[in-house]
Amino acid sequence: MKHNAVALNMKLGLCLLLALSPMGVLADEAGLADLLGRIRQSGFAEFRYEETRKLELASSPWQAQGYMLSGADGSLVKLQLQPQRIIMAIARGRMYYWDPGQKQRHAAPLGQAGQAAGQITVFRSILQGHAEELQPTYDFAPEKHGKRWALRVTPKPGQSDEDAPSIEISGDEDGRKRQVLIRQPDGESTEYRLIKTSEGPELEYSIQRLLLEATGD
Amino acid sequence: MSFIWRKRWFLLLFPLLLAATTWQIRVETDLNAFFTATDNEDSKLLSGLLQSGELSRRYLLVVEKNNEDGLRVNSTTSPPIPPQSTISIDEFSAKLVLQLAKLSGVERVWPANEPPREWIEAIRSYAPYHARLFSLNPQQDGLRLFDPAGLDSRADSLKQAMLSPQGGFVKAIAKQDPLLLSLNGFKDLQGQFERQAKLNVGGGALILQSRPAALDSDAHSRLQAAIRENFDTLNRDARGAFRLSMAGVPVFSVAAHGEIGRDVTLVSVVSSVAVALVFLLLFHSFSALHWVMMVQAASFVVGTLATALAFGHVHSLTLALGASLIGICTDYPIHVMVHCAKHRHSPLDAARLLWPSLAMGGLTTVIGYAALGMTGFPGFEQIAVFALASIAASLGLTRWVLPALLVHSSLHTAHLPGIAAWVDFCGCHRKGLLVLFAVSVGLAGLSLPQLRWMDDMQKLAVDMDLLKRQDEAVRAHFSSIEPGRFVLVQAADLQTALRRSEAAERRLKSLQQAGVLSEYHGLFPWLASQDLQAENARVYSQATTPQFQTAWRLALTKAGLSVDKLGHLPSPAAESLDPKAVLATPVLQILSGQVINDQNGVALSLWLGEHNPDKLIEGLAGLEGTRYFSQKDQLDRLAGQYRDRSLVMLAIGIAVMGLFIWLQQRDIRKVLLTLLPSVASVLFIFATWALMGEEVSFLHVIGLLLSVSLCVDYGIFFMDNRGQDCDITYHAIAASTLTTLASFGALGLGKTPTLPILAVSVSLGVTLGFLLCPLLIQSGRNKGTNG
Repeated sequence: MKHNAVALNMKLGLCLLLALSPMGVLADEAGLADLLGRIRQSGFAEFRYEETRKLELASSPWQAQGYMLSGADGSLVKLQLQPQRIIMAIARGRMYYWDPGQKQRHAAPLGQAGQAAGQITVFRSILQGHAEELQPTYDFAPEKHGKRWALRVTPKPGQSDEDAPSIEISGDEDGRKRQVLIRQPDGESTEYRLIKTSEGPELEYSIQRLLLEATGD
Repeated sequence: MSFIWRKRWFLLLFPLLLAATTWQIRVETDLNAFFTATDNEDSKLLSGLLQSGELSRRYLLVVEKNNEDGLRVNSTTSPPIPPQSTISIDEFSAKLVLQLAKLSGVERVWPANEPPREWIEAIRSYAPYHARLFSLNPQQDGLRLFDPAGLDSRADSLKQAMLSPQGGFVKAIAKQDPLLLSLNGFKDLQGQFERQAKLNVGGGALILQSRPAALDSDAHSRLQAAIRENFDTLNRDARGAFRLSMAGVPVFSVAAHGEIGRDVTLVSVVSSVAVALVFLLLFHSFSALHWVMMVQAASFVVGTLATALAFGHVHSLTLALGASLIGICTDYPIHVMVHCAKHRHSPLDAARLLWPSLAMGGLTTVIGYAALGMTGFPGFEQIAVFALASIAASLGLTRWVLPALLVHSSLHTAHLPGIAAWVDFCGCHRKGLLVLFAVSVGLAGLSLPQLRWMDDMQKLAVDMDLLKRQDEAVRAHFSSIEPGRFVLVQAADLQTALRRSEAAERRLKSLQQAGVLSEYHGLFPWLASQDLQAENARVYSQATTPQFQTAWRLALTKAGLSVDKLGHLPSPAAESLDPKAVLATPVLQILSGQVINDQNGVALSLWLGEHNPDKLIEGLAGLEGTRYFSQKDQLDRLAGQYRDRSLVMLAIGIAVMGLFIWLQQRDIRKVLLTLLPSVASVLFIFATWALMGEEVSFLHVIGLLLSVSLCVDYGIFFMDNRGQDCDITYHAIAASTLTTLASFGALGLGKTPTLPILAVSVSLGVTLGFLLCPLLIQSGRNKGTNG
């Protein structure tokens, strides 16, 4: 399912969540396991994505689109094609960033790469089905309402990094489509609309090639 | 006092003295403290940098993948385990960083291609002062930074930066500094890490800043063991997939410490055993050996205690060289015992008979050591005090206690073959031999101009080729800031020093562009003078006109950025950033080692990468209070100074010895004859080195100074000939020479170059001096007694 960018500030988002809360909450572990199983992406997969970011210092939401590639070894590559080509990846415990237009390249261990790395690490854990990594510091709230499902992952008060994001991942019966909303504590948010376009080991070559480009090797 | 009470007092006091010494002694192993004089500002600076300089406390660590061949070779006892770890070097290094950061001896540790997190935090704190710190050349850079035509691109870049992984960092700065001017000053810092990133593609290069001073070998030994233990633990989990290499000044200091420790033990043991064996060979008496060794041990303990009381600590090299003193101090009992055995005198009578010669011999030896202490070596000052106390104790004990100890010992002295024959030969062929001697002196004098002086102090360091190769291999993974060469800026106060440092940085930037210098680590913008901050603020205020601000807001709009939040360009901060206040923050750690406060003001150091020293010095010419400083050059200069002082002290030592002999003998001919064997041996040894092409250092000269102080004793004994028998006197001298050779020869086993140099110099000197005595000194008194 494709969604248009919806300009929601954090307060609105929270109001909406509160309004939707009575809509059948799956609080039991079986429901959570079922939902995590549905979300989990094991093996190689490629998603087309559309991204909408709301930045505190931007006058309007910023839009981008491209492909996200998930590897069997836990690597994740985000290839942004519009408005300009940028590669962001996490692999082998590090985050890589390569902006060929600005000739900007960054690399840092995930633990030291700041807010952006924290965001993408949590995102990867959910996407690749390693939710248990987050359970010590995050609360999971699965929901199901008719054909629609959602999983809200929020930092446990006092146990998470103060910059830790909240994430909401949702979808419907169509297993290929997902919507991910990441909210930062400072009010900034990023929304991804993903659709799986391909899967299989042949994607490994693309992932490796993009990783090489991102690392500058 | 009766003999029995002398013996009882000695046996009672010796253990007490030993206990007092053990309680008082603190052994120092810092080679720098031993060799580096601190009598001028540069020497003090050098000494401080070697001991606690930032770069001297830094370890360079490299984690690399083990190759499978290596694993197979290492796996001799168990089946080979191929590296099956899926963990990357990056991940492994990140884990290692976390582990090492917990060690108590670690100040901080970080991957070489990324700034430590606290640096990033520190940079953020400069944002409010952006208008005062944006450039080292504000007038020139202002044209580019405040060009209205570039504002669209600046706004786009700002947006991209906020969308990048550094978005959080950039946002915090942009709120106070929308043009990101404060980051402009830190561009060079970014460049350094980018260059490092290219070298460290594998990701395994780490920098570890330790807490202990570089030459605190014990602390570094523990730290290195802890580093390896942490690495091994992680590597076991990774199935041995990685290997670790370490480099840095502390790695060398620990290795040198180990070598010196082994040398001290080896020299002490071999020297003591050799002297004991020579003694047994000469006197065939375990009882006498036992008492003489106790006397020598007591002398050694007195020397150690006196040094500890005078200096607060005793250097391990003092103990090593002090151990060789045992061989010298044994001379006094040996003379007494030889005369005792050959003449059938009682030990007391022999001691009384020989006392004037022994006292004069001891005095000249002390003069030699005192001259040694004045060569400028802090360590040799210790040795001079040690020698003074030991020799005084040995003489006193020989005169007043030894006769009481030897009262029941039966002494038989061995007849040394060839001794009498050499004395007779010299007597029979004196004229011919003297002509030969005169010709040799002439030839030796002619060869002296060929003498080569060693001015490279590095050649005196412990040889650690393997470690040097490892160091080079590790350093290949890092950008090349050199720990020993930098630009030194000095001034009476911090503001003046900063102004001078900024002028120097401008020159260095030009030199970098000209290819003279690969990179440098300066102080701007971490620290900036008030003048430069005012100049930046002036250029900023002039440039940020209402028109410029309007253009900026337009650019923000075009880029889709918030004009409300980024459109106002604030006025410069009312107060400039106070460098002293900055140094009270974590920035001090970042700059530690680059800001040095001393009694005469402030010294700032600008670290250099690979460079051409001559062109760099030329490029810095004319800058007040600024100069190029090279630790190696400084050490080499010190080596030259030491050599000159050693030569002066050699001459002064010989002159003072001559004066004291004259005071006793009142005969200038006798004085000259007494000194002649030792002076001639020095001349011949210098000539031999000149002909062999040996590079002669101050240590060679110091060795000769020691040999002169010993050989003069032989001259005194031979000239005095108090037993009225040349043969017996020469036997006693031969016995002394043998013990001296045994003890100083043991120094030759040491790996620290200092020790073999002293061994060769002293051994050659005393051997030649001994052989020349019967030739040059004609003693008329000979009873012909052969004992």
